[in-house]
Amino acid sequence: MEIKIMKNILDRNQNKADEVRNLLAEKKVKMVNIISSPGAGKTTLLERTCEALGGKIRIGIIEGDVTTDRDAQRLKKYDIPIVVINTEGGCHLDSHSISKVIGMFDLDTLDILFVENVGNLICPSVFDLGENFKLAVVSTAEGDDKPAKYPRLFSEAGAVVLNKTDLLPYTNFNVDAFIKDLSAINPRVPLFRISATKGDGLPDWIEWLEYQIKSSPAG
Amino acid sequence: MHEIKIAEELSVIVVDKAREAGLSVVESVNISFGQLVQVVPDIFEFAFREAVRDTVAAEAALNIEIIPLEMKCLSCGADYNPAENCSSCSKCGALEITVVHGKELFIKSIEGE
Repeated sequence: MEIKIMKNILDRNQNKADEVRNLLAEKKVKMVNIISSPGAGKTTLLERTCEALGGKIRIGIIEGDVTTDRDAQRLKKYDIPIVVINTEGGCHLDSHSISKVIGMFDLDTLDILFVENVGNLICPSVFDLGENFKLAVVSTAEGDDKPAKYPRLFSEAGAVVLNKTDLLPYTNFNVDAFIKDLSAINPRVPLFRISATKGDGLPDWIEWLEYQIKSSPAG
Repeated sequence: MHEIKIAEELSVIVVDKAREAGLSVVESVNISFGQLVQVVPDIFEFAFREAVRDTVAAEAALNIEIIPLEMKCLSCGADYNPAENCSSCSKCGALEITVVHGKELFIKSIEGE
């Protein structure tokens, strides 16, 4: 006997992500799902973003990490609500893990919730968390072939940050090749070339982000 | 290793559907993965075996169909299979393109008695 099913295997994740998305829309809170390899600079980018927007925009952060609260410790100084999710070996966050901790934030007092996903370019891109958009962060030290090798993430990203541009003279990263591959996958995605440690390129990122936060709740 | 989580979710659906249909043994599980999901079939098979251990689907054959990437041009309407990953429209060169197939993570059916 054959039983036809025709169902998304990640239905439960999708349903929970939709719940999170609806809750955040109701509370007028934007969510950004930040995805990169380990060491691309997600936390440093968050540090600079908190410094630039602190006082103007009300920020909350969910720190996803395999283990330790080291990233959260780095962000504590900005006096913003931070919740750590340790996946204990898990290579990505899913919508159930977000749903479990979202009640720990007072959503009425937030404008934006950043989710720093576990460092990994494949697995996190498959699990919708209920975000408004995915932010892909890639650093010049990793090589310029990432959009070609990880098309799922880069094709879905609502924005891309190319970090560590200050290291370009010391790497063989080809910016033109990177942009060509990225454009082939996601032709209209905004790309921000940044050195999060030196501050280069940050104003464009901050200005764009502020615009996203102030645009319509559905955006 | 997103294969593990996907396999766990699949096992829940398979066992639920088998119970609903009154199956005592599931002989095969038929699923489709899009190319962009980047599931490694061997790893998935391993994860699935662990997930269905001691269930009615413990011996089920796992049939995985990989769906190639298919894009649609939003400018001229052409459907095409890009040569490498996604790319601009192969017919008119437009950059307004969308993924039609390639992100699937579908269970199509199960068979059993």
